[in-house]
Amino acid sequence: MTILSSVLRLAAIVLAAVAIVFLALLQTVPAMAQDGQQITSGIVVGVLTDEQGRLERFALSDSGGNVTEYSVEGSTEYGLETQAGDRWVATQADEPIEVVSRLRDHQERFAAITVTSRNGVAVSVVERESGRLETNLSFLFAVFAITWAGFFAYIFFVSRKQRELQRQLARLQATIKRNANS
Amino acid sequence: MSSILRTSNLLLISTASLMVLTLWMVFFWVPTEANQGNIQRILYIHVPVAWASMLAIIFVAVASIAYLRTKNEVWDRLAVATAETGVVFGALMLITGMIWARPVWGVWWTGEAKLTTALILFFVYVAYLMFRAYFPPGAQRQRLAAIIGVIGAIDTPIIYYAANLWSQAHPPSIVGPSSDAESAFSGEFGVTLTVATLAFTFLFLYIARERFSTRETEDALVEIRRSLGDAEPAL
Repeated sequence: MTILSSVLRLAAIVLAAVAIVFLALLQTVPAMAQDGQQITSGIVVGVLTDEQGRLERFALSDSGGNVTEYSVEGSTEYGLETQAGDRWVATQADEPIEVVSRLRDHQERFAAITVTSRNGVAVSVVERESGRLETNLSFLFAVFAITWAGFFAYIFFVSRKQRELQRQLARLQATIKRNANS
Repeated sequence: MSSILRTSNLLLISTASLMVLTLWMVFFWVPTEANQGNIQRILYIHVPVAWASMLAIIFVAVASIAYLRTKNEVWDRLAVATAETGVVFGALMLITGMIWARPVWGVWWTGEAKLTTALILFFVYVAYLMFRAYFPPGAQRQRLAAIIGVIGAIDTPIIYYAANLWSQAHPPSIVGPSSDAESAFSGEFGVTLTVATLAFTFLFLYIARERFSTRETEDALVEIRRSLGDAEPAL
């Protein structure tokens, strides 16, 4: 049992090392940028309107927690989906008020969007597009490291406790035997 | 029977084999999910760990009911062992969920239904163990702890159906009766998740069994001390 446990621990260390190396080798896919445009994905964290309730600006928090504020113009295009999957397409000039409720709905649902912008002005706002892979390997690494550290710490705690209890048990049994003999 | 074929060793070997297979599938076999990218691989840990923590509370509840009916100490031991293991799995469920949520939702935590009910489950485990640690030893402690264990299990179906009942940020159920065709994992994703779930279920059973053995030794020690007139409290 002890040998088996040692083998298991060794296997776990080797596996962890392999996993870490593999994570480090995984390729990251940066966001594409063309014609001075920037593409950012994230969740809506703020929506600002003017007195008539028309969208003026909104803020986006990306996967690293960086908040970026975007202003809009009449040509800003929207392609957003409801929770049921119905797609709504419009421009800022067409639906300046409706877009506010759409963005707030996304904010409440934590539904991610992708914003294409130029100089801080949103050119298009769409559902987060597939293919723009966000790697976030540090988060992935953190999950695996914490999970395995947690399990091994607990198994170590239980096995140490078991050893200590066995020692106490043996001591007590020896005392009983001695008392019985004397 | 050869010692290598003992239940504990068989569980250990099965767990280790399945874990190796799971890691290989997660990192080398399953394709990268299109929307979330590599971060989605966290779900192959988070979902099975969450499953195991809910399995733990079911074990606690069943063992508690059996104890209340039979007053057999073995059931009480099983309830304690699975509750303690459940705390470990429950804590890891919450931590891995938070780490997944940060890049995907932009926040570590939100007060939505599934997260809140999962946190309640964790507190149920902690309350159960705290009660056992601080209440004076004896049959009354075991009886009241069993009642807490049974009441805590009510949270399990609420957690499972929370995402579907309240439709908030948490993705809907991807396995079991409440998952629909759209949300269910299929193909390589489904196979990987199934293998990972099996691996973590075996890991849970192995750890719970080891903890059960420790509890047996603890009880044996208390019994010997009692017979020797050494009034040390029950562990």
